[in-house]
Amino acid sequence: MQDLELLQEGLALMALGMGVVFVFLTVLVISVTLMSKLVGRFQPAPVAVDTGKKSSPSSVPSAQNDEVMAVISAAVHRYRSTRRR
Amino acid sequence: MDKLVTLWEGSGLYNLELGQAAMIMVGLLLLYLAIYKKFEPLLLVPIGFGGILANIPEAGLAISALDQAIEVAKPAVLQQIAAALGATLDPLANAEAWRESLKVIAHDGVAPDQVRAARDIAVGVGYSDGMLYNFYKVAIGSGIAPLIIFMGVGAMTDFGPLLANPRTLFLGAAAQFGIFATLFGAVALTSMGVMDFSLNQAAAIGIIGGADGPTSIYVSSVLAPELLGAIAVAAYAYMALVPLIQPPIMRLLTTDKERQIKMTQLRPVSKLEKIVFPLMLLILVALFLPDAAPLLGMFCFGNLMRECGVVERLSDTAQNALINIVTIILGLSVGSKLMAESFLAFETLGILGLGIVAFGIGTAAGVLMAKLMNLVSKMPINPLIGAAGVSAVPMAARVANKVGLESNPHNFLLMHAMGPNVAGVIGSAVAAGVMIKYLG
Repeated sequence: MQDLELLQEGLALMALGMGVVFVFLTVLVISVTLMSKLVGRFQPAPVAVDTGKKSSPSSVPSAQNDEVMAVISAAVHRYRSTRRR
Repeated sequence: MDKLVTLWEGSGLYNLELGQAAMIMVGLLLLYLAIYKKFEPLLLVPIGFGGILANIPEAGLAISALDQAIEVAKPAVLQQIAAALGATLDPLANAEAWRESLKVIAHDGVAPDQVRAARDIAVGVGYSDGMLYNFYKVAIGSGIAPLIIFMGVGAMTDFGPLLANPRTLFLGAAAQFGIFATLFGAVALTSMGVMDFSLNQAAAIGIIGGADGPTSIYVSSVLAPELLGAIAVAAYAYMALVPLIQPPIMRLLTTDKERQIKMTQLRPVSKLEKIVFPLMLLILVALFLPDAAPLLGMFCFGNLMRECGVVERLSDTAQNALINIVTIILGLSVGSKLMAESFLAFETLGILGLGIVAFGIGTAAGVLMAKLMNLVSKMPINPLIGAAGVSAVPMAARVANKVGLESNPHNFLLMHAMGPNVAGVIGSAVAAGVMIKYLG
């Protein structure tokens, strides 16, 4: 008899638990969607600017890129060698 | 000659019990798995080593001053302790029998103030709490260590993929079915008379299916501290086994065509959204589920430190130095629960068995939920990412990615799988909150 009670309680906890998890995450989905829309409405510009900035450096000629790489690696090398001492 | 005998009787070899020897072997096995098989080495090395320390005979590293006194003190002290506990000792029996009966009395149905008085006697005659016992009391008994680890996990988590595709939260929710199905399984086993678990213990076992180490430790420290050792070992061992457990289930439940589904590119997520998200989650927890507040509160705090960008130093500490320090102490504390009396029981086998079932059911539920969502939504969802809904960050997401690549070498699911993956962390913390609320 007591076993049956335990079983029932387990079943109740299972239903309640899954229910709460789903309800909570559903609320979270709705609020995240709303929040994203709000943020998108009030602050659409920075995102666009960001992507614009990111795409522009890629059009730099590769020769200049190589030069920059060389300078950077030289600087890193010098920094590391001084640190080691 | 007498001195030699005393020395011999004080040696570990003389006092070694079979159970302790077996547990030292278990500790060595954990170390082997960690070092040679790379099973969650960051945790299993401290846990395995702590397990060995806890089972050193006579040293009593993992027991309280009172237990230690009961185990080794002179008969006169035993009588004092018995008086403090309000028990009478059979004057005809020998000291060994007294120790046995006192051990039972001290852990069962004695008023807390009597235990405290007995403890004072033990401390008074020069016994002190074992080192690992202190670690356990500070790190896990108070609940601090798992929460700090959760803060570090928050500081390491990028919610970008989740914010870009919030519906993946449903996958994280579905995968929590593993937790509750296992809870029910443990209860069913009890009612069939195979095992003997209380509802609290069943809940603590179920949480292994959340595939989240700190959450498992936190929940079992609240609901069933006596099973903590076995639960933590099972949780971490199975997390390491995710790449072996999940793929067969994922392949079984999906067709090759479904595995090849390509998902649309995730949109970029602005910084403001990432900052607002942890705060919003915190407010929702405060409103609906205060019992999940310790876990999710620390998680949100860690994530806010990461995303707000003005406390780099704190965020860096939370996800590196601090989490490492706490992991050491947490591991040793869990090891202290690997004492022969509590670990070498039939129940431990049950926990290990149910734990793997929990993982399997969680994976299956996540995959099936993804298939269901595919039926109703326009945006295609690859069912494989549903399996990442069991937390195990980032291992489960990597597994989803790998299985996806097997079907289509150009289909990278990793970023898509990170969404349900972190949703699983939130989901299992919510599930933990519900269970603590219901049973705590």
